[in-house]
Amino acid sequence: MFQLAFKDLKLFFTDRRAMLLTFLLPVTLITLFAFAFGGIGKAKNEVKEYDLPVCDLDLTEDSKTAIAALDTDKAVHVVMVTLEQAQEDVKKGNKDCVLIFHKGFADSLLYGSPLPVELQYDEAQEIQVSMLQRALFTTLAMVPYSNRNNAQRMLNKQFDKLIGGGNEQLKAQVHAQSDSLFKSVGKGVEANPKTSSSTKIAIGSDIKMTKLVEAKEENSPGLIQAVAGTAIMMLLFSVAAIGAGLLDEKQEGTLKKLLYSPMHPNNILFGKMITANSISILQLTVMFIYATVAFGLDIFSHVPSLVLMIVVTAYACSSFGVLLASFAKTRQQVQGFSTLIVLVMSCIGGSMIPIFIMPEFMQKIAVVSVNYWSIQGFYDIFWRTLPLTDTTFLTRILVLFVIGSSLNLVALRMFKKNILQIA
Amino acid sequence: MITVSNLKKEYGTVQALKGISFSIAEGEFYGLLGPNGAGKTTTISIMSTILEPTAGEVNIAGYDLRTNPIECKKTIGVVPQEIALYNDMSAQDNLLFWGSLYGVSKGELIKRIDEILHLFGLHERKNDKVKTYSGGMKRRINIASALLHQPKVLFMDEPTVGIDPQSRNLIFEVVEKLHQSGMTIVYTTHYMEEAERFCNRIGVIDSGQIIAQGTLDELRKSSSIKETIAIAFANLTDELFQKISLAWPEVKRFDQTIHFFTSNSKNDLAKIILNSNELGLDIVNIEIMKVNLETIFLSLTGKQLRD
Repeated sequence: MFQLAFKDLKLFFTDRRAMLLTFLLPVTLITLFAFAFGGIGKAKNEVKEYDLPVCDLDLTEDSKTAIAALDTDKAVHVVMVTLEQAQEDVKKGNKDCVLIFHKGFADSLLYGSPLPVELQYDEAQEIQVSMLQRALFTTLAMVPYSNRNNAQRMLNKQFDKLIGGGNEQLKAQVHAQSDSLFKSVGKGVEANPKTSSSTKIAIGSDIKMTKLVEAKEENSPGLIQAVAGTAIMMLLFSVAAIGAGLLDEKQEGTLKKLLYSPMHPNNILFGKMITANSISILQLTVMFIYATVAFGLDIFSHVPSLVLMIVVTAYACSSFGVLLASFAKTRQQVQGFSTLIVLVMSCIGGSMIPIFIMPEFMQKIAVVSVNYWSIQGFYDIFWRTLPLTDTTFLTRILVLFVIGSSLNLVALRMFKKNILQIA
Repeated sequence: MITVSNLKKEYGTVQALKGISFSIAEGEFYGLLGPNGAGKTTTISIMSTILEPTAGEVNIAGYDLRTNPIECKKTIGVVPQEIALYNDMSAQDNLLFWGSLYGVSKGELIKRIDEILHLFGLHERKNDKVKTYSGGMKRRINIASALLHQPKVLFMDEPTVGIDPQSRNLIFEVVEKLHQSGMTIVYTTHYMEEAERFCNRIGVIDSGQIIAQGTLDELRKSSSIKETIAIAFANLTDELFQKISLAWPEVKRFDQTIHFFTSNSKNDLAKIILNSNELGLDIVNIEIMKVNLETIFLSLTGKQLRD
């Protein structure tokens, strides 16, 4: 019994693939998930700044003061933008939202009216934006009271509303008492400036929330994420298996026999690429049709963009499969490598966890994965409903094409090198 | 039809081929014999264009291998040592695929496949998946797949390894027919009887060099060995064999039998018997054999062909 266990353990520890899948893969995934969910760094109470696009349409001292106050918040880093640019960025998925200080902000402060502050956002980023909204609410609530005169004026206005019309004498008494109160506060501030500046009174100010990009038809962001994310991850696994077919040819001697034929050796690899591409296109098409039939995803309004995105995604993913097969020596190696690489790419690329809930640095890393560009491309089609000619959409198409072509070129070089070892 | 000049192949510091040269006439059946690692497969691989030589020239049917590999490939058919077929496809589909690589039209291909399957006795099972075939049947399909484009030259690398007698006989019949039809055949084998049966000329290759070449008769005449005296003993030991070897340098032991290679069996037989008696060896059987390819090969290389 123990001899058997010892033998098995010995075999296990000498099996690199088993070690890779047992230890390295889980460790890698744990690390990535920890980064993705923002678990790392929180233990040290480190708060990552959020780049908040802010558009100042009021352009008054008061609006500038309010924006400066926002920028002092540790969670927010204000980036001043024009309204047009900011809205474009949100629509294209480059930004989650834009905070707008509308014209009349200073007047509203002066007269104690509701502040014309609006957060325009992409509904797909609702989780991220709702967290941001809470942070902004707290900070913006302080803005009217950062200036004592404004605060007194606003309070008097609120008292007047509560007292109602025709009670002018009572109103005058309240105003006199508030005047006395604010004078006392002023003396306290002068006596203890440090404590006073850090102590704020929050009464509250609403932020108008407007969806700049919102769910149309049946294409909810959750459904798009589920279909695109899963489809691409499973596609990567499929193409790895197709690529491994090349190694089967090598092991069974048919690759050598193909080389005897008048066909150019490169055509063997091109043939495999065509196979991988065809099956990939078919697989993605079936997945989107299934999503249409089962969940009502509207694919018929976006056929040209969808076809283009499916083709380039299939191209990029199948190149990955062919590349794996060109440098691996055995099918077992392909399985080991593909499991590791596909899971890592899917994790950082947004197939497993939506990109928007990842920390900013993870979102930056995501661009190295095929998953990211494809998923964002499908969001462009179904969510942002960008036209086929839109530069953002075309950029994603181009990136996927470049990824596919680069991987194919490397695969071709590796294949040529390996051919010499066949004979 | 084939000219090989000063062909060299090096793998790092290892010289697999040390400058071999030979030529094969149109319609000739040329046997390439040699022990494992002698350079046979390297030579075939270079002539089949899947391996680049380090130096030297190969010309097949007027096409230079370096400058015109595609034309060379169209001219040749290769039967590799290993069975290289798609097991999940039927024999017919396999042949359709392999034939299509040579640009044969589908109509013509179907006609040729039909003929070839009849020739190899597999027509009845043409729609069965290859994985259901016996080893011998697979090997027949393996050969058939190299003939669909009607090559002028056929390279056959150990085509009868590990098959049943029925398949072997069928393959022999086909090989003879192909030769009779005027096809040039280059054949490597471990089986001496195959080489003796088919080959017009034989090249003996050892350690990357052609050490002898000619017809079987020419090789026989060039050999110093004329006959083999095979004596079976009842009590042969390693020690006694060592003593025999000292007196008779050209000997080879096969279990309890020793082959004595000689140019004059009449004179040597008596001496060998006397010597054996002196050593206390009990003789069980004596056989005198005329020189064959096996003994020629042994005398040339000091090795058995299957070494």
